[in-house]
Amino acid sequence: MILKSTLRRIGAALIVMIGISMLIFAIARVMPGDPARIALGPNATAEQVAALRFERHLDASLPVQYFEFLKALSRGDLGRSLYTNRPVTTDIAQFLPATLELVVVSAIIMVLIGLPLGIMSAHFRGRVPDHLGRLIALIGVCTPAFVWGVILQLFFGYFWPIFPIEGRLLETTPVPQGPTGFYLIDSLATGNVSTFFDALHHLILPALALAMSGLGQTARLTRANMIDVYDKPYVEMERAYGFKPFRIATRYAFRPAFIPTLTILGLEFAAMLGNAFLVEKVFGWPGLSRYGVEVIIRKDLDAIVGTVLIIAAAFLIMNIVVDILVGFINPRIRLAAGKG
Amino acid sequence: MNFRARALASAFILASPVWLATPSFAERILRLDESPIGEIDPAKATDYADTVLAVNIYDTLVFPKAGGPGVQPLLATEWTTDGKTFTFKLKDGVKFHSGNSLTADDVVFSLNRMIAMGQGFSSLFAGRVEKAEAIDPLTVKFTLTEPYAPFLAALVRLPIVDSKTVMANKVDGKYGEFGDYADAWMSAHDAGSGAYKVESQNPQSETVMVKFPDYFLGFGENAPDKVRYRYGIEAPTVRALMSRGEHDIADLWLPPEVIRALAAEKGIKLASEAGGATGEYIKLNTTRAPLDDVHCRRALTYAFDYATALKILKIDDKYAQGIPMKGPLPSGLLGYDKSLPDYQQDMAKAKEELAQCKYDPKTSPLDIAWIAEVPARERIALLMQASFSQLGFPVKVIKTPWALVSEQVTKPDTAPHAVEIAVAAVTPDPDSLLYNMFSSKVPPTWMSAEHLKDAKVDELLEAGRSEPDEAKREAIYKELNTVLRDLAPDINAYEFTGVYTVRDAIGIPALEDKSKQTLDNFNLVFRNISVAE
Repeated sequence: MILKSTLRRIGAALIVMIGISMLIFAIARVMPGDPARIALGPNATAEQVAALRFERHLDASLPVQYFEFLKALSRGDLGRSLYTNRPVTTDIAQFLPATLELVVVSAIIMVLIGLPLGIMSAHFRGRVPDHLGRLIALIGVCTPAFVWGVILQLFFGYFWPIFPIEGRLLETTPVPQGPTGFYLIDSLATGNVSTFFDALHHLILPALALAMSGLGQTARLTRANMIDVYDKPYVEMERAYGFKPFRIATRYAFRPAFIPTLTILGLEFAAMLGNAFLVEKVFGWPGLSRYGVEVIIRKDLDAIVGTVLIIAAAFLIMNIVVDILVGFINPRIRLAAGKG
Repeated sequence: MNFRARALASAFILASPVWLATPSFAERILRLDESPIGEIDPAKATDYADTVLAVNIYDTLVFPKAGGPGVQPLLATEWTTDGKTFTFKLKDGVKFHSGNSLTADDVVFSLNRMIAMGQGFSSLFAGRVEKAEAIDPLTVKFTLTEPYAPFLAALVRLPIVDSKTVMANKVDGKYGEFGDYADAWMSAHDAGSGAYKVESQNPQSETVMVKFPDYFLGFGENAPDKVRYRYGIEAPTVRALMSRGEHDIADLWLPPEVIRALAAEKGIKLASEAGGATGEYIKLNTTRAPLDDVHCRRALTYAFDYATALKILKIDDKYAQGIPMKGPLPSGLLGYDKSLPDYQQDMAKAKEELAQCKYDPKTSPLDIAWIAEVPARERIALLMQASFSQLGFPVKVIKTPWALVSEQVTKPDTAPHAVEIAVAAVTPDPDSLLYNMFSSKVPPTWMSAEHLKDAKVDELLEAGRSEPDEAKREAIYKELNTVLRDLAPDINAYEFTGVYTVRDAIGIPALEDKSKQTLDNFNLVFRNISVAE
């Protein structure tokens, strides 16, 4: 049943991907500015610009351009970036791991801090820990990630400089050679512990800045859902039976309260791929999100489509993963999906 | 140790400044930054960062002359010309990073590659060079299609690549026997002979270069062993990095207030690049009413508040991001006439000119665009609004992204009445600046947003190109400068002077001694920079 439901979702996701590709393909082309002129720089002649336009089919009609795009895509070719002068696939392969690593660590921070904060707030409802937790969550949600970036840089990079504020590694640390592009994994895989800690050290501030909004969101949602569950009769009964508060919170109240939070967590994770842009800018993080914005500014058509498709794919994959996980957590949903 | 103690110990180690303070005892590292991207293939180089990379990774036959206009030898030891042919003798014994010797064949190959790929600065050569030939391993001859005096200066934009390395790394492509001319490979690796070779390349975040010990000109004292050229670091991050001693030279594009704040910190100094190649022009659309009347244009040039514009750019008593202009020619180019007066606001003269203009300012609205990506330009736009309003013009200020501006200004009907655009000479020759701006033969680009069509200007521009005698050329460009001053297609707002924020430990001789300074973009020669620690 789960397999059938998952396959159906994957099919729907593929249709969405085709729709997104058409949409972004069209939107990118109606943005103002001539991509060939922008790419060739200020000193290019009109002939050079015309030659590049011809080479990239920019003079052709939109359907013809889309057909050429699909033809190339079928060969695994996302075209060539006018911004970096390299294949878009090369750029994505180089920049995506940095962003993914940042987002994964942010998601871990989001879960490790956001969930306990929400549980604590719910448990101490109306008391000082609750007020404190809500305040932290509110500030986290209200403050944009790049502001967090600057604040964290100011405190932990300037006044009390205990964290690095730029890049993924110290200039003296060799880049770990590994298959994933995740420095944490590659350094461990090659047994290089000092590089692992250096990479982790560089990750903490940008990951925290990126996580703050989702962390606040998670805490608020967890608190609200937990309070909801705490008011249910079965929790009252567990209290009456004399179960310890910690057991009630973690074993009986948290599981049903976690389902909406899990959905948000999945979407937050995918959204961070796109939202990481300003954090990557502030921390000089060589990631895909920053690349995505740079290529939009330069109207780098192939790169825009490639980057958007990757982020859209991440959204769709996370949606499917969340649906499956929710099904595991809540059998009613799993069974309903199977029937449907 | 129990779990809690271990966790605390781990957290302490992780947060310890020891991780940050790991010193590089063995190497002198220079760290500087620029806007992205960093393109290391010289055939595709267009921007500021690309130029700095090309200057340090590659060599050219000639280099912009220090302390004045023109060129000086680099790979070439001498040259002869009759205006249409240029013959160069090359230095013997110059090696590429690969160990191959640099020969005349490499020069011919580099030119052909650049023209074939049709990117970067290829327009300086395409259609102009009829033939390039290696006469012998150390002699190369260029035959032009017609006499073209700026050719010599254009050669500062022809970095010489190692033809054997390029051919060894080509894959199938559209250039016949040359495959793809190693197009893809050259954006990630180098094939140069310059003082530094590429160790790693990430076009969006950083290029790391290391010393090429066999460099034929050697290195200055305490020259950096390694250079980290970073891209796209935000101003607050640069500020924090410099304060921590983790960044050495900030780029030229920091706002004045950030430069001032940084300069106030201990251990940080300022250095100015005043190569005199870049003008900040307020381009007036000479085809749209009321600015199709020269008197209205002149009225605006008199009304503009130059002194306040310069005040906005001032960092301190010694440094500013701009100096006054004396015409469209910046101070580092042939034909610059220092006897001309600086521009100054003169409302009486502005009103005199306006009285002769056929348009009534009250019924002639002006639209002023400012480029959204450069927030500092808003202040200049507002300054224009304040000045022009005093003459009675209704003025509308419009924030416009560069992608849109660069398209709007190519058409006379859509180009705004006024827009501030910086234009730089890309070679040490005035032709590389003025021809693209004012020749009616050149199809309109963002550089020619004025849409000026003037027979006298065209005549002088052509004369400047074909005249081989330097003294006569200087006279031609001086005259052109005066003619353009009179025609007022631009408000020549100020000449851009870059201000670098530099750590005290770093010495940049080219910026500290005016006589060693050359064209903008060409002063960051890493081998001459000293890193004291």
